[in-house]
Amino acid sequence: MAIPRRTLLKTAAAASLAAPSIASAQAGAGRVVVIGGGFAGATAARTLQTLEPKLAVTLVEPNRVYTSCPFSNGVLAALWEISQQRFGYDGVVKTGVTLAQTAATAIDAAAKTVTLADGNKLSYDRLVMSPGIDIDWTALPGYDEAAAQKMPHAWKAGDQTVLLRQQLQNMEDGGLVVMSSPANPFRCPPGPYERASLITYWLKIWKPKSKLLILDAKDTFSKQRLFQNAWAQLYPGMIEWVPLSKGGKVVSVDPATLTLTTEFGRHKAAVANVIPPQKAGAIAQQAGVADRSGWCPVEPVAFESTLRPGIHVLGDAAIMGGMPKSAFAANAQAKVCAAAIVDLLAGRKPVDPILINTCFSLVAADYGISIAGVYRPDKGQLVEVPGSGGASPLDVVGGYRGQEALYASSWFKTITAETFG
Amino acid sequence: MMRRLLLPALASGLWLAGAAGGQAADAPPGASSCTGCHAAQRIPDSVIPRIAGRKAGDIVQFMREYRSGAWPSSVMGRIAKGFDDQQIDAIATWFAAQPE
Repeated sequence: MAIPRRTLLKTAAAASLAAPSIASAQAGAGRVVVIGGGFAGATAARTLQTLEPKLAVTLVEPNRVYTSCPFSNGVLAALWEISQQRFGYDGVVKTGVTLAQTAATAIDAAAKTVTLADGNKLSYDRLVMSPGIDIDWTALPGYDEAAAQKMPHAWKAGDQTVLLRQQLQNMEDGGLVVMSSPANPFRCPPGPYERASLITYWLKIWKPKSKLLILDAKDTFSKQRLFQNAWAQLYPGMIEWVPLSKGGKVVSVDPATLTLTTEFGRHKAAVANVIPPQKAGAIAQQAGVADRSGWCPVEPVAFESTLRPGIHVLGDAAIMGGMPKSAFAANAQAKVCAAAIVDLLAGRKPVDPILINTCFSLVAADYGISIAGVYRPDKGQLVEVPGSGGASPLDVVGGYRGQEALYASSWFKTITAETFG
Repeated sequence: MMRRLLLPALASGLWLAGAAGGQAADAPPGASSCTGCHAAQRIPDSVIPRIAGRKAGDIVQFMREYRSGAWPSSVMGRIAKGFDDQQIDAIATWFAAQPE
């Protein structure tokens, strides 16, 4: 059989480029790269490696430790320290995952490669992207990275959390704390209101003449009646919430004077916490998995991008239908995705998953509330199972709120162990 | 009493206890989400009960009573309402086969 020389050369070149892939496919495994070591990414890497030890799993994460956003509002209220929010990757590496301690700078979805900031290039059979959020620095006039040093967002936990806590501690009693909350979607829907609660819990003890104002770009929010009932009961007269319809939307900020301007007026803060509009982490835009909304559409079974086949997007960066952007959801999605990728690499069709989300919020140190949901794929989207889920009851007896606060702290210990090992 | 419960899923279920860590590939739909609160590993000072290695009949009974409201709960009643009997049986059987 005569094969034209040019074709033979091309075939040989293709075979040598693809050699590692063919070799690992023959071994019944494959190469998976995971970008981003948060609740989704660290879980995905560990679960993939545990489910299929023959897989070559690489986790790309530039930071040596992860600082958890869940429970970081407790750091603001001095309930615990930022050190208790930090988790390393030893438990991920222990499962056999290779840790690439650098950033991903470019993705070529056609060639199935990831370029790293250290100059290396990784080839993959499947790519998992869990880049979390980036602040949309173009969305709020006056709010740039320099402004965030005066008016911290603290929506990525770490230095920003510590800065906001210091500002609160330095504030004189009687000062006005102003928070702004963005329109949907954003990371952790109940988060701004838990934060308002816990800051006020701390103010009530240490600076009781102070007040907190929430300027909101929405007319409703997660667990709204539970929060508002608790505020009336625990912090009467201390928290004011201004919804969109009453002029709550912040349209610009001035970091020099700590002023937040809404459609209806100006508010000068003693401490300003601007929670700005967000979008999927920048690498998602570069990879072409984010749409014009700034977030990443995925199918609801393996969470594969509907824009770039072979790339799965998890956690806060993804559009997950009815599922909120939470750490619990990210961890649950990662476990489903890992099992689906093992199936796909073995030539099996993943089964339709069921996912649970549970979010606890603390309104005070010993007062917890929760929301839960059960989700399954339906017509190309994750939708809540009818009749399931919902928030804590408005009227409770006995130690219900205290019990949910205990569940919250147990959940945090559990989810961080589940994620980081 | 609960030991006497013999469920179809238990009778027919032949589950391979796979990789440790509550992450076996044969986990039925929904099971992997449970470990967000009910971890495979032991969590010191957690008030959330472990379910790995518990008897399947016990897990099924709790889930049904949470779902009906017969047994009081906080989040579990709301979560149990998202699962039918067959799904609960499969999840319970799988957790029963995990290391305690």
